Amino acid sequence: MTRKDLLDIESLSHEEIEYLLDQAGPFKELFTRSVKKVPALKGKSVLTLFYEPSTRTLSSFEVAAKRLSADVTTFDVPHSSVVKGESVRDTIATLQAMRTDYIIVRNKLAGIPLAIARETRASVINAGDGAHAHPTQALLDGFTFKEVFPEPSGKRLLIVGDILHSRVARSTSTLMRKLGVEVAWLGPGSLVPKHGPAEIKRFTSYDEAMKWSPDAVYLLRIQMERQSAPFFPSLREYTSLYGITQERFKSLSDQGTYIMHPGPVNRGVELCDEVMEYERCLIDRQVENGIAARMAVLYWLKPKTVSDDKD
Amino acid sequence: MESLLIKKASIATEDSGDLVVADILVEQGVITRMGKDLNVSDAGKTLEAEGKILAPGMFDAHVHMREPGQEAKETIKTGAEAAINGGVTGVVLMPNTSPAIDSSAMVRTVQDIASRDARIPVYTSGCITKQRQGKELAGIDGMLKHGVKMLTDDGDAVADALLLKRAMEYASEFDCFFASHCEVLDLSGPRALNEGVVSHRLGIQGTPACSEEICMDRDIRIAHAAGARLHIQHVSSAIGMETIRWWKKMGASITAEVSPHHLLFNEEDIGNYDTSYKMNPPLRKAEDNKALLQGLKDGVFDIIATDHAPHTAFEKAQDFVSAPNGITGLETAVISLFHYYINTGEFGWDLLVKRYSSEPRRMMGLEPVSIAEGKKANFILFDPKGSTSFTADYMCSKSQNTPFLDQTLDGSIDLVVLGDEILLER
Repeated sequence: MTRKDLLDIESLSHEEIEYLLDQAGPFKELFTRSVKKVPALKGKSVLTLFYEPSTRTLSSFEVAAKRLSADVTTFDVPHSSVVKGESVRDTIATLQAMRTDYIIVRNKLAGIPLAIARETRASVINAGDGAHAHPTQALLDGFTFKEVFPEPSGKRLLIVGDILHSRVARSTSTLMRKLGVEVAWLGPGSLVPKHGPAEIKRFTSYDEAMKWSPDAVYLLRIQMERQSAPFFPSLREYTSLYGITQERFKSLSDQGTYIMHPGPVNRGVELCDEVMEYERCLIDRQVENGIAARMAVLYWLKPKTVSDDKD
Repeated sequence: MESLLIKKASIATEDSGDLVVADILVEQGVITRMGKDLNVSDAGKTLEAEGKILAPGMFDAHVHMREPGQEAKETIKTGAEAAINGGVTGVVLMPNTSPAIDSSAMVRTVQDIASRDARIPVYTSGCITKQRQGKELAGIDGMLKHGVKMLTDDGDAVADALLLKRAMEYASEFDCFFASHCEVLDLSGPRALNEGVVSHRLGIQGTPACSEEICMDRDIRIAHAAGARLHIQHVSSAIGMETIRWWKKMGASITAEVSPHHLLFNEEDIGNYDTSYKMNPPLRKAEDNKALLQGLKDGVFDIIATDHAPHTAFEKAQDFVSAPNGITGLETAVISLFHYYINTGEFGWDLLVKRYSSEPRRMMGLEPVSIAEGKKANFILFDPKGSTSFTADYMCSKSQNTPFLDQTLDGSIDLVVLGDEILLER
């Protein structure tokens, strides 16, 4: 069971997901030791190619790769404007010539990691492409979910916020469903797509969603679009309708509902300060597990070699 | 060309689904005799055509040949050869070249290239607005004086409704008609694919069908008010088709076209970002395929047109959003429509002849091609028992951006004759 690339969750089998989640466990145990490094990828090169600004995901991958003893290079690409596909294609030839073993790519455009993966021998890991997929986030979410629910099948996960633009919502929903978790989405009608998988429940009312009794609530970072046609009137109105306010938090904590978030959080928008101190808030744990999950992915993928080309 | 005798061909016409078996004799580019078991002893060339279909040469009223400006994708020469390869003996070019065809000078330039390079009649449409910018009217009278009949900013709608109305009122006095690419840009997003399950799965903002339907309805209303004749291009949705049906019932002076790809494919075919299914308007849903086919059978659609849109392999190999819209169609239309519809009994040769040969010519003010004594030879010979593999070698277009690439379908075009010339013989 091996793959060259990790581009999305859809194409992973249930077995592959379970395997990766199992692999992440031992890597996480390393973190408590004084020496956190293993020589698994010694002599291998990892290149990060982030066309979108990111500190958390980029750092997480860098730490993961370094703990596997890989050599990590950050390929400096402009991320101010939308990078056209053509210039990405030109970059691919450069990358191929560098003979790097792993490429970790993030881009505003959906499908760019796939386009790169098709053209290079290196293993490509999608670190987020447009609103399409963010598979390592989904794996760390699944790993975290399984830590608190070792038997995830039949548990309920409610994802709240801007589902429409969220690659996290897509990938995490897909992975959770493959683990047997029931998934529902909650948010304003303009941000909860009507064309999602039929198995995913769709709520636009907070109270209705709570009647569904989720075991965990996954909050997405919410931002006002800077574009011409807004998706909701104001952050204040969003918070009043869908935010975890103090009042809503009280009821959630009474029921022992877990809270997740891909970070970075907007305090006072999708959640209130109290949530961050809550013992069932998994946000910090998600960050730690992110490194373990990404180590498992890097360890699992197998780049092509030049000799593979001759087959 | 020496005289040509074709024996026992099954003649397809627009009037009847029944094929009549006959021999035809072509002398000096004209069908001089036609009938059962012709007694011709001195034919220069004789072809046995038993079981083969002899149909009028097709006519595609929606074609991009990219010249001038984008000759890496296609030229009038390669585009015309692609047409011949697909059994098409006449085309109408869209004016979105670079520079755009928006003046008599540009019309003449294209006509000069065509008369030098093309072995079939090539007509061109002209822009409604200068450089398709939607700001100022193009030199309409000059273009019409050089034979332009169709005015269109194809590739874009004329966003300014008042400007479109003025153009239609102005030109209503001339012998011409308008053709609309229907789209409300504000609703379209990045113009990549239909808004639906696939756009959600792939994480790309989709273009809802209402973007097309609203503009279609708008343009018909404006044309109706202005007294202009209007043709609706590449209708992709069920509601769009019903919109046209309703307006025809209301007596609006409109025609409409459907493309083979909107009949045959839907958004699910995009799979994992396959750009050979990316075009504008985008592929919609399976229900839309069904509705469009019904619209074609019911005569809601006057013509079939391919929107032949060549792009280089490099451009199409980009990510789905960046890759350009459009697929080639000239070489695959007749064979794919035969394979999926005629061969399965969905419709007969009469429909194909009517919608892809006669009606588009009538729309352009040309005499439809008929297979009859005294008529100029303009026909194809099609072998329903043959097969065609759409390999890169098979295709004459400079570009191979078609979903049919490397597929094998039933049927083959064995002969194309136009006047005194055998344009193709396989």
